[in-house]
Amino acid sequence: MKLKPFRLSVLGLSLLIPAALGAVVLFLAIYAAPAVSFNGFGFVSRITWDLGNLYGDPVSVRGVQVPPGASYGILVFIVGTLLSSFIAILIAVPLSVGAAIFLAESVPAKIRPILSLLVELVAVVPSVVFGLWGIAVLIPLMAGYIGPGLSHLLGFIPFFAGGDTGSGYGLLTTSIVLALMITPIIATTLLDALMQVPKENRESAFALGATHFEVVSKAMLPMVRTTLIGGIVLALGRALGETMAVLMVSGGAINIMPQNIYSPVSTIASFIVSQLDSAEQDPTNMAVQSLAEIALVLFIITLAVNAGAKLLSSGVLNGRSKH
Amino acid sequence: MQIFKNLRRSTLLRSGVAALALAAVSAGSAQAATTLVETGSSLLYPLFNIWVPDFTAANPGIQLTTTSTGSGAGIAQSIKGLVQIGASDAYLSDTVVQKNPNMLSIPLAISAQSVNYNLPGMAGKHLKLSGPVLSDIYMGKITMWNDPKIKAMNPGVALPAHVIIPVHRVDGSGDTFIFSQYLDASTPAWHTALGFGTTISWPAVQGGLGANGNPGMVSAAAANPYSIAYIGVSFKAQIDKAGLGTAALKNADGKFVLPTTETVNAAASSLATSTPVDERISMIFAKGPEAYPIINYEYAIINASQPDATTAKAIQTFLTWALTTGNDAKYVSQVNFLPLPPAVVELSKSQIARIQ
Repeated sequence: MKLKPFRLSVLGLSLLIPAALGAVVLFLAIYAAPAVSFNGFGFVSRITWDLGNLYGDPVSVRGVQVPPGASYGILVFIVGTLLSSFIAILIAVPLSVGAAIFLAESVPAKIRPILSLLVELVAVVPSVVFGLWGIAVLIPLMAGYIGPGLSHLLGFIPFFAGGDTGSGYGLLTTSIVLALMITPIIATTLLDALMQVPKENRESAFALGATHFEVVSKAMLPMVRTTLIGGIVLALGRALGETMAVLMVSGGAINIMPQNIYSPVSTIASFIVSQLDSAEQDPTNMAVQSLAEIALVLFIITLAVNAGAKLLSSGVLNGRSKH
Repeated sequence: MQIFKNLRRSTLLRSGVAALALAAVSAGSAQAATTLVETGSSLLYPLFNIWVPDFTAANPGIQLTTTSTGSGAGIAQSIKGLVQIGASDAYLSDTVVQKNPNMLSIPLAISAQSVNYNLPGMAGKHLKLSGPVLSDIYMGKITMWNDPKIKAMNPGVALPAHVIIPVHRVDGSGDTFIFSQYLDASTPAWHTALGFGTTISWPAVQGGLGANGNPGMVSAAAANPYSIAYIGVSFKAQIDKAGLGTAALKNADGKFVLPTTETVNAAASSLATSTPVDERISMIFAKGPEAYPIINYEYAIINASQPDATTAKAIQTFLTWALTTGNDAKYVSQVNFLPLPPAVVELSKSQIARIQ
């Protein structure tokens, strides 16, 4: 009985965060409702995004006032978002697993805090700094060397081939910038978990004559698999929603699907930012409402990807434990 | 005493800090300073930046805060009453004015836009381009620099056999607005397919690029040989520094003209008399043999009915100052803008008188 006020207050506080999330989604849904009914399901499958003639007299389409010629389709941005995040994870996971193992296993305990602090520092670099680095350093490298090199070496893989490897602004550059931003997230969570692995596991594996590689891969990594997947999910969330750095290096594709990994892309988050200014000039407000609908789609994608990753991780673990 | 006065005055004029100090003193002794907030066009922002110290020095009772967001934000926030002055490269549309009859579009200065390209080996040479050719490039119909249509306009120029990289703005922009107006006015195919606006549903062009803001346009064009871009003239210093070429554009009289003080002035004065009372007019494709085809008024978007008389008075004071002292070449030429013609200043003044 004595605990009741405490419990109540904690319960209230713990409900606050889901309530805030729910309120945001509810607001978005209500605000985007006219756009949802105007755009229909074609919203996610159309390639063309056209605000229409904002200086023309609004016309009535299916009972809604919209600028003449307005048609909203976001397939290009959905594809750009998923591809750039997916490739970023592909690059970041080996990097961060390697970094975490190195920090946990091969670095003297005295230096470890300093090095791990450095890795954590990368996570707090503002994204606009990554964007600037991308423009100043990565894009010229990509246009001059990496793009043509990859096309030459891996040209037999369809997505890597490109007669023209482009300008440096594009999918691969975006993914590399994203990968750098999320590597520390995965690496630090994994490092913390590796440090928690009981000494006995490690030492008994060594005692059984395992090599260092076998100790890490067979005695330690299986114990931190859940943490690793948790870290990847966190990182994926960051990559899917990253805005500024992507806007600066992605090449801002509109109405065109990426042809290869060098093509310009747009992600949902960067596209919302780049369009908001023009959308606000729409006297019918349909453009802003459609942007709210995109935000809703991004929310659903993030949710779906995270849920999928969680399912996958539990499936993987169950599959393992059955053996 | 006279010496002291002069000293005090010149220090004031030079130093914003002294001006602020005086503003604080007068605020303490008489009444609190009226605060005006300006937001909007990134093209106008540099001019506001130059204006503010001198204006506040001359009017210590008014504090003016400026931020650079974008023309769309300037218009939207001014209509909502979040800011007192919205800066925009584009005038308000008919629909917006019908919905908000109190909103005024008041020109403050004249800007122009250059079409720039990065063509190796063409340093110092000015290519000739026309609206229809630019339309074809941005619609993906002309893909090579040595296309017969470009060759025909530039006899004797060794054009490279290389794919053109058209660069456009990804963010909503007054630059896109006036560039697309030029294509819209000069090319029927563009008019039917795309029209004009602060953002365009850009046709899919293989290799085409989107860039963010005028600085992004300059760096994208500089980083990509064989690219073409449209950039506001207030970025002329950066354009020159990046070594980009500037195109001579075909005007309404069929002549190819470069964006210079003379050609922009010629276009502006040919439109000064036809500017309507509410001053919402496209200045694109002005008539006259020397008229540069892509120029525009830079607008202050103002609500004519302000919540209180003090704010209204402060807005009037600022706008009047901007049209008189602020239109002096020593301010506007720093950002490669031009002062308004006298007839337009008069129109703007009668609009300012409506603010209350």
